[in-house]
Amino acid sequence: MRNRKAINTNNEDITNILPEECISYILSLTSPADVCRSKLVSPVFRSAADSDTIWGKFLPSDYYDIISNASSSSSSKLLTSSMSKTQLYFHLCKNPIIIDNGTMSFGLDKATGKKCYMLGARRLSISWANTPRYWRWKRVPESRFSEVAELKEVWWLDVKGTIETKILSPNTPYVAYLVYKFSSSRYGFEKKPVDLHVELGESDAGRTFRIFLDPSANIPQFSREREDGWMEVKLGEFFNEHGDDGKATCSLREVDNYTPKKGLIIEGIDIRPKDSR
Amino acid sequence: MSEVDMAVIKPEMMKSYIWLQTADGSIQQVEQEVAMFCPMICHEVIQKGMGSSKNYAISLPQRVNPAMLSLILDYCRFHQVPGRSNKERKSFDEKFIRMDTKRLCELTSAADSLQLKPLVDLTSRALARIIEGKSPEEIREIFHLPDDLTEEEKLEPLKNTTDDPRIRLLNRLYAKKRKELKERQKLKNIEVEEERVDDRSVDDLLSFINGDNGDSKGIKNSKSKKKNRRRKDQQKNTSANEAIKNHNKEPNGLNQVCCSAEVGQTVRAGVGATSNLHDVEDDIFDNKNELDDGDIDDEIDPALKEKIDREVEDFARRLNSDWPERMQEILSFGHERKPVHFSLNGNDSLRRYANSEQR
Repeated sequence: MRNRKAINTNNEDITNILPEECISYILSLTSPADVCRSKLVSPVFRSAADSDTIWGKFLPSDYYDIISNASSSSSSKLLTSSMSKTQLYFHLCKNPIIIDNGTMSFGLDKATGKKCYMLGARRLSISWANTPRYWRWKRVPESRFSEVAELKEVWWLDVKGTIETKILSPNTPYVAYLVYKFSSSRYGFEKKPVDLHVELGESDAGRTFRIFLDPSANIPQFSREREDGWMEVKLGEFFNEHGDDGKATCSLREVDNYTPKKGLIIEGIDIRPKDSR
Repeated sequence: MSEVDMAVIKPEMMKSYIWLQTADGSIQQVEQEVAMFCPMICHEVIQKGMGSSKNYAISLPQRVNPAMLSLILDYCRFHQVPGRSNKERKSFDEKFIRMDTKRLCELTSAADSLQLKPLVDLTSRALARIIEGKSPEEIREIFHLPDDLTEEEKLEPLKNTTDDPRIRLLNRLYAKKRKELKERQKLKNIEVEEERVDDRSVDDLLSFINGDNGDSKGIKNSKSKKKNRRRKDQQKNTSANEAIKNHNKEPNGLNQVCCSAEVGQTVRAGVGATSNLHDVEDDIFDNKNELDDGDIDDEIDPALKEKIDREVEDFARRLNSDWPERMQEILSFGHERKPVHFSLNGNDSLRRYANSEQR
């Protein structure tokens, strides 16, 4: 037993009033972020916050099906059979799993438990991507996917990804990012801005932003570095209500046929809840 | 009595009552339909035939004091009437839970002991709304809790509740790292040393791992601690899951997830024999002294301690967040990008082939 600084005879202290299971139940009605914070409240809260039932509730309801679809059968078996719900939750927050024949990754946003997906480059529609003269596909160790697309040279740059809203978490604002980096010999992106666009379903016209992807010194930089070493630029956002809006379409285009562009390496399009880290 | 009086009295006499006794000894009778709304009371009446008279009053759980019982019965009295609309019920509930936090907690506890789930849900949701978005400090204030997590508990990796020997080893590794950091602080040569410490931790981990066929698939997780301690005869591989948690101090209490919990990957372990375990421990700790967590601070000059403590905490935090990732890199399954192969040759020494991608 640990020694506490004071023996707890405080009549007001709720941990003398409420059993730990009740505290766990109350915590399960808050949010993942709240539960993590509550671990710093007191030893009883800390213990209550570790309850598997809490984190089981925070996992998406269809997590089992999603994981079973994981590309490597051994990893999915490992995840579903050997980890507790608590471990599984935090594992998915840090380690997105590859699903759908290696074309997509799935993870969770830690603070909310909402679903995050990344569409791999192979899943995107990239004009001319299958013409070796213009694009090259290669393996890089720092990508979670088996292949990334590298732009050799192109005039018509058109990268598009779609995702079904029904697989996303309901009642959630989502943001889409292009995950990319530049090779050492890049060209064209400092001269010409690109069009970034996101639209939802059939009827939504969406919004387009025009920015320089590789801005020179006095021009604002809209991209930022990710934790995994790649860069990301926000393509746009949309609100997923019930998942019945069809597809969300995200794109980056620069189709001015006078400027050749090269040196862009695309890992994919990352779709995650707004304000998640 | 006139006939009219009799007619009035009769229905009253037909009403049955249930006798309830609270922990303080006081007994009261309650209308049957109201009391039976509580599953626990219902059970006592039906299964055990209790409550029909004063002598056979149902003893209520200790958590139900007379004040709480009164509240609960008010709740039951309202809701057991079938004819009410959802709107009415909701309106009643909203007014009903307007009470101070302490009473809400007592009510939750009492309702829980009587298994009255709708009321437990109602009060729990109210308490959840109170907790949401608050910092740990604020929560302690609201519930009058003492701040009795030690500094270590706030920063140290959380020990796995199954008391897995691997977790203990891992924690001792952390302790060792912290000690090393302090020593390096003294030499004022941090930058370079961090790299070395990191590398060593990887090597330590690798020596940690031995297995039958060096194959990273087919890992099974051991759920029972007894399995890990069982000696000798075990043939199968077991592996351990670690939950390593990290606590950060909350800067301003708003919209910050101040705890990041990582999950270490499964570690394939050579099995069973406790002697095996000791060998592994010796491998990890170069110097002969076994580290207890309490030993760390002995050598440090008190004057330096403050500063070093802070830097050690910072390092421990960073280590806690980096460490599982590196473990994962080494032990990743199903990902082609970072294969690490191990082979155990005949005389039990570990040879390692790895793609070199240390940071």
